[in-house]
Amino acid sequence: MIALVRLRLAGFLRTGRALAPVLAGLVALGVLYGGGRAQPAEAYGVSAAVLFPVLAWQTKVLLDVEPDGQRRLARVVAGVRAEEVAGLLAAGVAALGTVAVALVFPWLVGGVTGPVEPGDRPVVIGVALGAWAHLLVVPAAVALGALASRASTGSAGYGVAVLALGGVGAVVLGLSGSVVPWLAPPVMATARAVAGDLTLPTGALLTGWAAAWSAVALVGYSWRRRSRP
Amino acid sequence: MRLENVWLRYRRRGPWVLRGTQARIGPGEVVVVLGRNGAGKSTLLQVAAGVLRPVRGRVAERPGRVGWVPERFPADQPFTVQRYLTAMARVAGLDAPAAGRAVADWTSRLGLSAFRAVRLPELSKGTAQKVGLAQAMLRPPGLLVLDEPWEGLDAGARELVPAVIDEVLATGGSVLVSDHRGETVRLPGARHWTVADGTVTEEAPSAAAAMAVVEVAVPAARVAGAVARLRAEGHHVLRVRPGDPPAEPASTGPGQPDTDPALPGLGQPGADPAPGPGQPGTNPVVPGPGGPLGSAPASSGPAPGGAPEPAPAAGVAAEGGPATGASR
Repeated sequence: MIALVRLRLAGFLRTGRALAPVLAGLVALGVLYGGGRAQPAEAYGVSAAVLFPVLAWQTKVLLDVEPDGQRRLARVVAGVRAEEVAGLLAAGVAALGTVAVALVFPWLVGGVTGPVEPGDRPVVIGVALGAWAHLLVVPAAVALGALASRASTGSAGYGVAVLALGGVGAVVLGLSGSVVPWLAPPVMATARAVAGDLTLPTGALLTGWAAAWSAVALVGYSWRRRSRP
Repeated sequence: MRLENVWLRYRRRGPWVLRGTQARIGPGEVVVVLGRNGAGKSTLLQVAAGVLRPVRGRVAERPGRVGWVPERFPADQPFTVQRYLTAMARVAGLDAPAAGRAVADWTSRLGLSAFRAVRLPELSKGTAQKVGLAQAMLRPPGLLVLDEPWEGLDAGARELVPAVIDEVLATGGSVLVSDHRGETVRLPGARHWTVADGTVTEEAPSAAAAMAVVEVAVPAARVAGAVARLRAEGHHVLRVRPGDPPAEPASTGPGQPDTDPALPGLGQPGADPAPGPGQPGTNPVVPGPGGPLGSAPASSGPAPGGAPEPAPAAGVAAEGGPATGASR
């Protein structure tokens, strides 16, 4: 399976199609950090929310760049389950790369600052919370991108629709006062939590919520793939 | 491997492509899948290979190692032939040294050596098809599924497919192959499945199907002896005709490695990839699907068994069963 993950990552990086989502992410981060300096946890929380649709798009591109015939060959050679999981793992690795860039980026452009007032979180804690917020977003974004991929939807139009609905839905349904926030991954809730007084039970709840949402979405992806090799 | 009551359709409430298909293929057997366009041949092959999952029914006892050659090799990938095949060998579970050996072996045998550094999108259709064949053989398959494998291959390269099939059969593997060009006459011992209206039926083997026609060029002075030997071995000599004049050798420049003599490496020491039937000094063999020498010019020579006229070479058409191994 590792060989298939490497093959798909190589295909993704060599086609140049990886550039589009990466550039979009950098632009979004540039806009985000261009307005002034913020505490790390607060900045990273928003960064994670902004990156959610970017990472989902990146996943869709990674999975779509492989021709359908090659995906089916991989299914025969590696096995059905291994083929599906390898695609998700490759997308996850690519997403972690983008997250690493997102964590470093604000320090390069002076978008974050250390503690200013008494009671501000230390930088290390802020960075750790920021990393946690981004890692919470990765599986949900990979799952959404997989659902939007050509292998799942069968057409480019449906894929874009799934991606757009998922990205917008995560923001709209995640707003404060939403009636059905659990329909979306907790990207907005996480951003609010790390900007405020995050408690351990809240952190555990958000982690469980993200894991459950991702699991349901991935089951849906696997179910779709049953009839779409 | 057995297909047990396999039903398949591509979407809910769509038409059934396969309906209650029952079929079985055993070790060492080759099955040719026939049917009109859109009948479901490729669907059946993909179910057998494990690409498609039946909506109902099941595929039982599928070998663990399956090689699948799709009708169109997906060449739109940013890899060279060498890198792609090495990666596929690793995906198939070979370690790095074994993958390197397998890739070197099959690129050489299939005449792909000159293309190792070429990117897949730059390959011709036939060469890409060879890459597809190579990826299926990197790990010796227990089941080889070939979907129109002759598509895009030139005359010399078409001989590669039966040679590869023979190699799989020799190791106890099974082979499923579809064809709509009549190339499967190169597989005279194959069973025939016909796909029509969602069902698969097997043609009963006939005496004619169990026979193949072989053209053998021999020096004219030795025709009588050759005919006598063939008859003594139980073959049915159909007729003897004068040999065709030698053809000018085709000019192949260094930029045309498609004509690499790959066949000798496939374990067919008597075979030559380039020559056509009737060339003196070679042993070309041509299968005759619909009757003996159906495409050959009318013979001006004597009836079988008659004394041949003096000529530089003469063609002898003999009929024999698949066990003679003279179908190519």
